[in-house]
Amino acid sequence: MSAFLSRNRLIVLAYAGMIVLLLVTAIFSPGFLSVSNMRSTVVLAAFVGIVALGQTFVIIGGGIDLSVPWVLNSAAIVMALLCGGQDLPLVWVMPLLLAGGALIGLVNGVGVAQFGVPPIIMTLATNVILQGLILVLTGGSPTPSAPALIQFLSVGRIGGFPVIALIWLALTLVATLLLSKAAFGRHLYALGTSATVAEFSGVPTARTTVLTYLISGLTAAFAGMLLTGYSGQAYLGMGDAYLFTSIAAVAIGGASILGGSGHYLGTVAGAMVLTILTGLLPALNLSSGALLVVYGAVILITVSIGSETFAGLGGRLRGRRV
Amino acid sequence: MSVEQTVARAQMPTQMKDTRPGIDWRGRALDRAPFLVACLMLALIVAIYGSLQSGVFTLDELNLDTAAAMTLMLAATGQTIVLVRGGIDLSIGGMISLGTVIAATRFTDDPSTTAFWALAILALGFLIGALNGLLISLLKLQPFLVTLATWSILNGVAMIILPTDGGSVPGWWVGFASGQLLGLTSPVWMLLALLAFWWWFRATRVGIIIQASGSNEKSAFLSGVSITRVNIVTYGLSGLFAAGAALFLITQTGAGSPTIGKDYILPSVAAAVIGGVSLFGGRGHLAGTLIGAFVLTLIGNLVFVLHVSSYWQPVASGVILLLSVLASSVAEKAARSRVL
Repeated sequence: MSAFLSRNRLIVLAYAGMIVLLLVTAIFSPGFLSVSNMRSTVVLAAFVGIVALGQTFVIIGGGIDLSVPWVLNSAAIVMALLCGGQDLPLVWVMPLLLAGGALIGLVNGVGVAQFGVPPIIMTLATNVILQGLILVLTGGSPTPSAPALIQFLSVGRIGGFPVIALIWLALTLVATLLLSKAAFGRHLYALGTSATVAEFSGVPTARTTVLTYLISGLTAAFAGMLLTGYSGQAYLGMGDAYLFTSIAAVAIGGASILGGSGHYLGTVAGAMVLTILTGLLPALNLSSGALLVVYGAVILITVSIGSETFAGLGGRLRGRRV
Repeated sequence: MSVEQTVARAQMPTQMKDTRPGIDWRGRALDRAPFLVACLMLALIVAIYGSLQSGVFTLDELNLDTAAAMTLMLAATGQTIVLVRGGIDLSIGGMISLGTVIAATRFTDDPSTTAFWALAILALGFLIGALNGLLISLLKLQPFLVTLATWSILNGVAMIILPTDGGSVPGWWVGFASGQLLGLTSPVWMLLALLAFWWWFRATRVGIIIQASGSNEKSAFLSGVSITRVNIVTYGLSGLFAAGAALFLITQTGAGSPTIGKDYILPSVAAAVIGGVSLFGGRGHLAGTLIGAFVLTLIGNLVFVLHVSSYWQPVASGVILLLSVLASSVAEKAARSRVL
């Protein structure tokens, strides 16, 4: 147990932070812990969490995916256009757009792994290209409303549980299995720790890198479709906020931006922390500007706790070398 | 050269090729390939633009385009210094927003008050940047995350000061951008000043140390460089230039905006990368960045004269960004294979 704690210190801390934050919020706003409020918090966190799933894989592998906003937005808008408010087309539209998201991820991954383009530049380029193409496609005009089925997936309930929370739970299980039990997970941590060492140890580094971006494209596209259901409509710019929140959730969850460490379970706590904060500020009567300040401070604090300086300090306090 | 000589030269071992007397033009060209690619792109864009629109090759057009590109150029100058150091600064977006917001709420018709606040904004930019550098060094944190966090904080402060676009600046401040000397407007003189600054700066002690610690932090440290001090100066300068960008931007918009800064974060990186600045640190020249900023700005003009939807502009800039990165990575590979 203590071995588990020391190995996953940052993830445990993220959950501890989440619980403290929940209690603090409950003090300031007594209704916050009510079932209906917790339900809506989890639903909002699920969108961040699903987008951040792919981001977690990419960051553990030592990269970063800035193409998330417009992969998400493109999937949302194309889905709304192709379905025209009808449920039936979803049967082929959903797989098609998931494949589309995966394809963008594939392009990102191949650019990074095969052509040596820095991840920031590669994913930034695909992001602006997608943005332009979607603007050209829609001409800036709004799209039809979301099909009822997709609305059920994002706001519906099964036995009192929000459907999207169940989807998020299932995805969390899959991601945890991939990271902790599958060869892919071991390859990923090796790649993120040192690409050179991984390559010489026989890890298929190129394939692993491409897969992380592919997963990120997949989850961003999926989140885009679900988000359309949540807001009832797809609109331009709906993905913009998710670039910051997806990276922030991963960072708060304890992963190093340099790669090689972290776990999706930490990201889940990170997504919850970010969402609870959005709920806390109205209770304290604070503006959206203050929310951004708090977001920044929380990121700074959590990454500081994870830094070598603090780890060394903690080790010295306990009287042993780290 | 006869056929025999050519064959003989081709069969010479690689290391002998490099020791032959005279200037190694091919090596030099490969070294500067990313910059040359950027020049070529700019020439191509100007040529297409000039053939479709009359009056492109006039001073007026130069004045207009430089004014349009100057905010990005100032932001990208700071970003170039950080990239050469081997870091990245996302907080410039927050600083630009904060700068315009402070200016729009504090500037008055009284020149001394305005001058005070303008200097205060510049000082604030340097201090916040220096704080970024300090956090990165002291806590051994990644520049990406630290500046992401400070971007969010600065953006939040800007939104608290001025929740929506608004405020105003005195007319004479707005008029600064159209002030002329010898037929050239002030933005063009600023462009020349930026080039002169870089020409001076890269040869100073600080400039050399920044470049050295960007190419190899460990050897710079072992040569007695204080990494903490380098980071403070590097990010401080980036903040200073971001504040300058804010002061210039407000001559173009005439009002403050708490969200406008984010439009310059990634384009500033893109301009530098198009201009051949390496994201891995140690390599890059401001002239390249400025050309990159011109390329990104002129794409907008080009889209306009081609009579296609302005929505094609991001597509074109994305494609150009990818092309230039691919070109430089190919050139870098070629250069490396010559060295080895």
